[in-house]
Amino acid sequence: MTQERSHIVKSYEQELDQLRAMMAQMGQIVEEQVGLALDAIAKHDEEAADEAARRDPEVDELEREVEGLGIRLLALRSPMGPDLREIVSALKITGDLERMGDYAASIARRAMKVASEEGKVSLSGLRSMGRLVRENLHRTVEAVVNHDPHQAMEVWHADRGVDEHYLTLFRELITYMMEDPRTIRSCTELLFIAKNLERIGDHATNIAERVFYAVTGDNLPTLRPRGGVRKSQQGPPSE
Amino acid sequence: MNHGPTTLAEDVADSGEEAALAVKDLNFYYGDHHALHDITMDFPARQVTAMIGPSGCGKSTLLRIFNRMYDLYPGQRATGEVMFDGVNILENTVGLDVLRARIGMVFQKPTPFPMSIYDNIAFGVRLHERLGRAEMDERVQDVLTRVALWNEVRDRLKAPASGLSGGQQQRLCIARSIATRPEVILLDEPTSALDPISTARIEELLDELKEEFTIAIVTHNMQQAARCADRVAFFYMGGLIEVDTADRIFTNPRQKQTQDYITGRFG
Repeated sequence: MTQERSHIVKSYEQELDQLRAMMAQMGQIVEEQVGLALDAIAKHDEEAADEAARRDPEVDELEREVEGLGIRLLALRSPMGPDLREIVSALKITGDLERMGDYAASIARRAMKVASEEGKVSLSGLRSMGRLVRENLHRTVEAVVNHDPHQAMEVWHADRGVDEHYLTLFRELITYMMEDPRTIRSCTELLFIAKNLERIGDHATNIAERVFYAVTGDNLPTLRPRGGVRKSQQGPPSE
Repeated sequence: MNHGPTTLAEDVADSGEEAALAVKDLNFYYGDHHALHDITMDFPARQVTAMIGPSGCGKSTLLRIFNRMYDLYPGQRATGEVMFDGVNILENTVGLDVLRARIGMVFQKPTPFPMSIYDNIAFGVRLHERLGRAEMDERVQDVLTRVALWNEVRDRLKAPASGLSGGQQQRLCIARSIATRPEVILLDEPTSALDPISTARIEELLDELKEEFTIAIVTHNMQQAARCADRVAFFYMGGLIEVDTADRIFTNPRQKQTQDYITGRFG
């Protein structure tokens, strides 16, 4: 994606730069949203939860703008080679980022419900899963901005850790619920939060795959090494 | 991405398929000017191979070598091999009239003969075959149908071809080139003088013709090459930089020069 030479047509180059800037901005907002949602869990910070939800329309608007510009570039410039790959990948990545934003908003809302039933269950597992997802997301957005296929591949592999966290949390929360049915309400919220974090991780791997393709022209393998469920184990229901 | 040397790797030059034309170590000179350097590539049978590259890169020169157009001009010469049906056509053992009946050519500007629509087709056929009236009528109708021109001209076959529109004239020229039942059709920028609808018709036609003919097309329109061609060869300054499937060339070319050209970054 990174080119040493510029396009002969300057306005084409400017539009591609604009697309890249919009992707970077979108990535940054989603990172902030996820950070706010995790703060909402960790610190029972209501303001952070509200802020995470408030930023969602910004992400939606950026998604529409990226789509508009991407379609315009496809229609007017007939992009080829790496330009074509970059634009098509941007159109897909923007969808992944938008979904991540939705999950972050959903996590923030649920975090407030859990906060009202504080003290019944431990949040440490969820916190460390959150840290990992946040770290992976940050590195994913970096890979998008820097067109870095190596970093994309690292993120792609790192999602295995997120899956493993999710499985552990799932078992832990089931145990709480069996031991004390009064925790069912908050544990269910926490399960949804964990599932949303796991989905954010999956979208990060999607983005990593698209960055890898955009830059190298090659696809990562269809099957990603997955953490977690083996058939013989009791695991969470898959979607 | 591999931005290696600009010489062509052998494995890429070899399509692994039956070649209608096999070019090997071809060099071409306009007097002292060395216009093509060591070209080696195959034109697979019944496929469309497009040649792209900036003006003066040698793509049209290569096309013209295939029916020995350069024989017309003193001081122009070719060395190396162009194998066609077991014979090196660069050697003078092949008669030009026979060669040009088997390797037809269509030019950038439509070039109908100054005669009727019917005779434009029949003229070339008469040079090579003795057909009765009914057989000739049948041949004319057949080729005009195949270029989707029959319904437009069936009532005015005796009218001069110059009265046809540019797009119709170009389809007539393609009909004329397939009337002698060639194996290969060479097209040099066949749609650059045509409107988008006529261009679309010609592209549609190429898609049908490739079932029977081997097609080599020179085009400046990369989208056209992407749409029509199975394989694409990129030329630059008289050298073949890269030849590969159209998919590969337009989404993920191996060579940096090809990438710069197709993305519009050529200085």
